[in-house]
Amino acid sequence: MSKRLAAISVAVGFLLVALPAATSRRPRYGGTLRVEIGAMVNSLDPAVPAASPEEAIAKQGINALLYDHQEADGTFAGVAGSGPFRIAAWEPGKHVTLAANDDFRDGRPFVDGVEIQMSRAAPDRLLDVEVGKADLAEIPAEEARDAADRGVHVSMSEPEELIALVFVAGRPAGDDARLREALARSVDRAAIVNFILQKTGEPAGGLLPQWLSGTAFLFSTAVDAPGAKELVSQIGGSPRIVLGYDSGDSLEQSIAERIAVNARDAGIALTAVAAGRGSASADLDARLVRLPMHSTHPGEALASFVATLAPIGGIDATPLPAGATADQIYGRERSIVATFRVTPLVRFPRVFGLSARVRNWKAPLPGERLPLADVWLEGDAQ
Amino acid sequence: MTFRSKLFWVFTIALLLSVGLIASGVTVLTRRAFEDVNHRHSEALVAQFEREFERRKQDVVHRVQGVAEEGPTTRMAVALSLPRGDASVYVNDARGSSESHQLDFLDFLGNDGSIISSAEWPARFGYKMDWVTEPQDWAALGSFLMKVDTQDGPALGLMSVSIVRVGDKNLYVVGGERLDKGFLSSLVLPEGMRALLYLNLDPSFQETNLLDESGPVIRGERFASFIAQEQQQPSDQTFKISWNPADAASAEVFHALPLVGRQKELLGVLLVGNSQWEIVILERRIIQLAFVVVAIGLLIGLIMSWWGAARVTRPVTRLSEVARKVSEGDWAARADVRGRSEMGQLAGAFNRMTEQLSTQQERLIQAERVAAWRELARRLAHELKNPLFPLQTTVENLRRAREQNPEQFDEVFRESTGILLAEIENLKTIVGRFSDFAKLPQPELASVNLNDVVRGAVKLFEGQFGAVGRPPITPELHLDESLPAIQADSTLLNRAIENLILNAMDAMPAGGVLMLRTTHENGDVDLEISDTGTGLTPEECDRLFTPYYTTKQHGTGLGLAIVQSVVSDHGGRISVESETGVGTSFHIHLPSKPPQRVVSISALPPDDLPEQPAGEGA
Repeated sequence: MSKRLAAISVAVGFLLVALPAATSRRPRYGGTLRVEIGAMVNSLDPAVPAASPEEAIAKQGINALLYDHQEADGTFAGVAGSGPFRIAAWEPGKHVTLAANDDFRDGRPFVDGVEIQMSRAAPDRLLDVEVGKADLAEIPAEEARDAADRGVHVSMSEPEELIALVFVAGRPAGDDARLREALARSVDRAAIVNFILQKTGEPAGGLLPQWLSGTAFLFSTAVDAPGAKELVSQIGGSPRIVLGYDSGDSLEQSIAERIAVNARDAGIALTAVAAGRGSASADLDARLVRLPMHSTHPGEALASFVATLAPIGGIDATPLPAGATADQIYGRERSIVATFRVTPLVRFPRVFGLSARVRNWKAPLPGERLPLADVWLEGDAQ
Repeated sequence: MTFRSKLFWVFTIALLLSVGLIASGVTVLTRRAFEDVNHRHSEALVAQFEREFERRKQDVVHRVQGVAEEGPTTRMAVALSLPRGDASVYVNDARGSSESHQLDFLDFLGNDGSIISSAEWPARFGYKMDWVTEPQDWAALGSFLMKVDTQDGPALGLMSVSIVRVGDKNLYVVGGERLDKGFLSSLVLPEGMRALLYLNLDPSFQETNLLDESGPVIRGERFASFIAQEQQQPSDQTFKISWNPADAASAEVFHALPLVGRQKELLGVLLVGNSQWEIVILERRIIQLAFVVVAIGLLIGLIMSWWGAARVTRPVTRLSEVARKVSEGDWAARADVRGRSEMGQLAGAFNRMTEQLSTQQERLIQAERVAAWRELARRLAHELKNPLFPLQTTVENLRRAREQNPEQFDEVFRESTGILLAEIENLKTIVGRFSDFAKLPQPELASVNLNDVVRGAVKLFEGQFGAVGRPPITPELHLDESLPAIQADSTLLNRAIENLILNAMDAMPAGGVLMLRTTHENGDVDLEISDTGTGLTPEECDRLFTPYYTTKQHGTGLGLAIVQSVVSDHGGRISVESETGVGTSFHIHLPSKPPQRVVSISALPPDDLPEQPAGEGA
């Protein structure tokens, strides 16, 4: 008897707990998703070029929500508003409000609308998500761990964005391959990942991530300070290398300063200096370059990297043949890295902070649009 | 130099010496006082630095201890003491803690001394600071100086180590304050002083490491040698730097205080500088004041010396004027005796002396007159006695011839009257000579060239120099053709020169050389007439110019007296030098213009002449 009563009590308790939970997992329509981004988008017209890479990425992301789909060449198909959302309000450079497109071919989005606040600094974005003023914001990878510790729901993509050290073509300091190799050997990538990226990311020996190419493990990421010293001693001393980093990028600055410490330990005279983004100033011997990934296809991803690196580092820009095999991709990747003109350092994911009411969010793969049409909000009236 | 000039210079020199001594003394005392003050200021500043240093050391210890004792640090220590403690989480903690505790340097080190987080060099995580794990009682050590590696290069820090111990694991908290220009600005410096800090962070002197409160010191290279000495042997030392060699006021005296680290290694040098500007300016002002005092003193000295000299020399001048009058023969002149001072006594004594001299002069003149008359009488007697004796003898012969040989009387009478007439003529000649000497005229002055007079006189005697039957005399004329004309009576001068030539010819019976030389100086002319004759004895020289004195058998003794009279009437001087067997030289000095009042020696007795040079009797 007592066993029966106990079983009934457990069953009732289970129903009392599980029923609301089951109800909460059910998709709900309605509500407005508040998104904050750091970039300032001044025009949503795809034909108008963006003023900065951040604006270009943000513009791409917003337009991906407005158009039906994107062609392989990057152009958007259809008209604005044919996508899951349409523009409800637009104040260039400040914010844009998107309304759900009831006629979207894949179905109406769950949320009624999306409010995108622009020009929000990373700490403010994280704070807004933490206090519930924003529902979704991309946050720096190095902040992911801290954000999680602070109770923010954190969503990460696969490690995709690469930071690499590139010797600027034509600069005499980078002429000696032994010096370039010595610098590559001296860098403690693991320390950068552990301390600077707070373990959000992975050391990168190759250009493509392991999850994409399957060959990244073939590239060494280990620090080899003795080997670096030996190479420096063979050279007979190091010329001063000026390493530039983006003056507005604290992650690049931290990595550059760490590289300077490692280089100094190996006997390489390296000075980290702030510089303009992407510039190959005449005063810079090398610079750090961010390489975001735009495709989940290895060949396309590598081609995109090469297109970015070739003008700076003077590497071979010959395009891979169409339908290049994995071996060909690996061979090209290996040939680039073997010159030590490009030294992959670390790779890290895109990190998103989510408020507690966001449901059904999944970090997009490279090239995919933000899955805002699939997100629904907990607690908002239907 | 006049008495007034002497008094002026004595006064001036005395003033200069006294002002110089006072100025030097004041300067030396001032310098010592300044040096003493500067030394005390330096000591005070060093003491202030040490107090401030000690205060900051304590402050650093407290602040580092505060970091170690705060909650996050403790939690970090606890977390890291766990078997899987993750240090990477704390990589940025040092920066926040250093800001909240106002520490320039802060490092969190793990149990093995590896850097978990570094405020001064954030990218240096993972590297080890082995010295922290060495056995050391950090709490007892307090804070210490240390060379700290930072992202911008080495720096000098006042550091402290605090340990947070959890179980058997240590978390080291190493923090500190930068010792640089900011530290210097906290020191209160007296005016004219400055404090510099050299950061000994490089093996050799680096100018950029020498700081004052505003940054690197300008012209810091001047300290290189002194810093090098400190690097070789750290010790207190004092040195001086002159920033502008041309300006002593630019000099600065520095006191160097070495700052050493935990291992007694030299990490810095505190330099306390004292500007010498004030003391040099003060010295200059003292010297300027001394110059002003000297200038005023000189002016006062000039006035005082003029006044004093006038006051002192006025009686002397008066006495001198009286003495001059007396010397000119005014024996009635008397000094004005005023008061009972030394000058009054001197004037009285002078008057008494003058009176006595006047009396003695009168007596002497009288005696000389008597002697002169006696000499004249003796000479006249002598001169007249010679013709008188033949006269007497002739008259006696006439009387005897008339009495004893009347038949021969006519013949005797004729012969005797002849003799009588001759002797009477002789007497007349003697009387004539005396008359001539007595009637020697006063010179009639005109412009005369002495060379012409000499040549004329010599020409007159040319026939006699080489006369047959006597040894030849060679005249030698050394006449200065640039001889200026003088105011003189050429007739009288010619007469005097002729007398001297005659004397010389008489002195050279065996022939010889007669030399006549003229020279001039300052418008006056000199004539030297020398012979190579028998010469004179000193006694003869003494009496040579005495009238009626002669060394010759037939001389009247008036020739040289006339010469001397002529020379004297021209305001000149005559002297004689002679050596027996060698010859005699007469030196005549004639002024360009005779004085207005010339006392004729012919009017005076022989011993009353201005000079009594010896001479060769005529």
